Amino acid sequence: MNTVSKNATTQSQKLMIFVLTMSLYGLSTLFTELIPKFQVGLVEFSVEYFLFIPLTLGMLFDPLSAALGAATGELVFSEIMLGQFGGLGELEKFLTVTIGVYIAGRMVKNPKNHVMVGVAALVGTAAQLFMGMLVDIAKVQFAVEDFEAVAGLPESVFATEGFAFANDLLFSGILFCLLPTLYLVPRLYGKIEPLLGMAPRTAESPVAGLNAKVCIVCVLGFACAVAAEMLASSGTPLIEWEAEWAESETALTVGMVVAAALAVVAIVGILVKKNREKRVAC
Amino acid sequence: MRKMKKKLSENILEKFSMDFLRNQVLKNAYGNDDTVIAGLDPRVLIGWYLFFGLVPWFANDLYFLLGSFILVMVTTILAHVAGLVLFLFALGVFSQTGYLFLVTLVFGGDASAIVPLLILTLKVATISLASVTVFSGLDPDKLSNGLMWYGCPERLSFSISYAYRMLPMLMEEFQNVLLSYRLRGNPPARDTFGGKVRYLIYEIKIIMESFYPLMLNTAKRSRTTVEALELRGYRYAATNKAVKKIKLSHLKVTSNDLLFLAVSFLWVVLSILCSTLF
Repeated sequence: MNTVSKNATTQSQKLMIFVLTMSLYGLSTLFTELIPKFQVGLVEFSVEYFLFIPLTLGMLFDPLSAALGAATGELVFSEIMLGQFGGLGELEKFLTVTIGVYIAGRMVKNPKNHVMVGVAALVGTAAQLFMGMLVDIAKVQFAVEDFEAVAGLPESVFATEGFAFANDLLFSGILFCLLPTLYLVPRLYGKIEPLLGMAPRTAESPVAGLNAKVCIVCVLGFACAVAAEMLASSGTPLIEWEAEWAESETALTVGMVVAAALAVVAIVGILVKKNREKRVAC
Repeated sequence: MRKMKKKLSENILEKFSMDFLRNQVLKNAYGNDDTVIAGLDPRVLIGWYLFFGLVPWFANDLYFLLGSFILVMVTTILAHVAGLVLFLFALGVFSQTGYLFLVTLVFGGDASAIVPLLILTLKVATISLASVTVFSGLDPDKLSNGLMWYGCPERLSFSISYAYRMLPMLMEEFQNVLLSYRLRGNPPARDTFGGKVRYLIYEIKIIMESFYPLMLNTAKRSRTTVEALELRGYRYAATNKAVKKIKLSHLKVTSNDLLFLAVSFLWVVLSILCSTLF
């Protein structure tokens, strides 16, 4: 191997990083789904994120693979396996986790620099939580019809979401993202890379460093997340579509009756066919 | 109040052990192959899910939402979903909308908040139950094949199959690491309140620290996995159309699938009919 390819990550190594982050972060999200939350006064103590796992791996390896692996792991292990899959809305979580981990991973040039690792861990977590908060507020605004008309609802949404953000960042962010990352990155640096057949990351590695391109890609990703969430939440398309029909309610009723009759005919037809098949089989 | 909460959380902690979790996940994945839902074609079921996972978000009609909710509830019962999943579902629905209602009351809202929030709750509940039916009712291989047929990225269906296979092993390994830390450690006494807090911090610290050996072990394992995959030409096969065709050739739509679709359709039509009549 020559020196050029020593620092670059090959395709199969990227797959290794993906698999590694996916299984570890997926396992941890399974726990966070199950660990009970408890409250002391207004402050909620919940082990919301084991985000330190993808953060650590994103700082040591190729950030994009680690970020995608973490998001996929969360999707597969805690959403699909436990049957919590929320449809299009999951895209938002997927993208915010990816962006948060990716930013943190790009920020660290030298994993031995404690200050940089700590700052990157906090920035990554804050970015993820903040995007989640924005999307959550917008989601409730669009999903609840006449949002402004319900007394007390707007204030309550802003208050709960803003408080949840501050709480998550101060509690989960410091305890579960900052401290473990600071503990793990220097310990794993130089030890875990050879296991995947790679050289440890140095300042010359092409994966490190934030630049304009990275920022633009992240902003675009966030725009996608918001768009997906809006699409998943907004009620506008169907309301307009219904308005055309609503002009003649009897037409809609008759249409539904015809559709019901068709469905009954289809069911009877399928049953008859099934019986015939059975008889032939016998 | 605090005492009650503490008692509740301790109760949950007692029930929540690694073995229980592993059993539930395994049961969920492989335990119900013989149900009506598991026998259906994954493509049909995913198509069905696309309707019940998306349309309720756009609809605001109470009868339609109620009808869809009842339908997905029946399918969830048919799928014999594990208890843990249902518990998480209830918790999720409450945390999404239930608390919002309470907070609205605190901020001076009145009962007028019930109807919009009931609609929101029905929406959330319908969508999550539909996903519970599809993603817990089907076994993972079928599910990933179905997703692949719809053109999902190969990585996703690979992740699903891999996750279900590896998860029990990973959990066992994690438990072993955790137990060995516990054996060597000296937990603080937990008679007083302060002691309990210290004990909790100690437990969390152990969990964090046990990820260090786990990360190294998993790194080794994932290298082995990927090298085994590479030997069989996985990355080329993943993008090759002919391979995909062979892999998906066993999928077949039967009359049972059509019957399932027709009954669902009839039910939805009836619920829309109700909403126009009343």
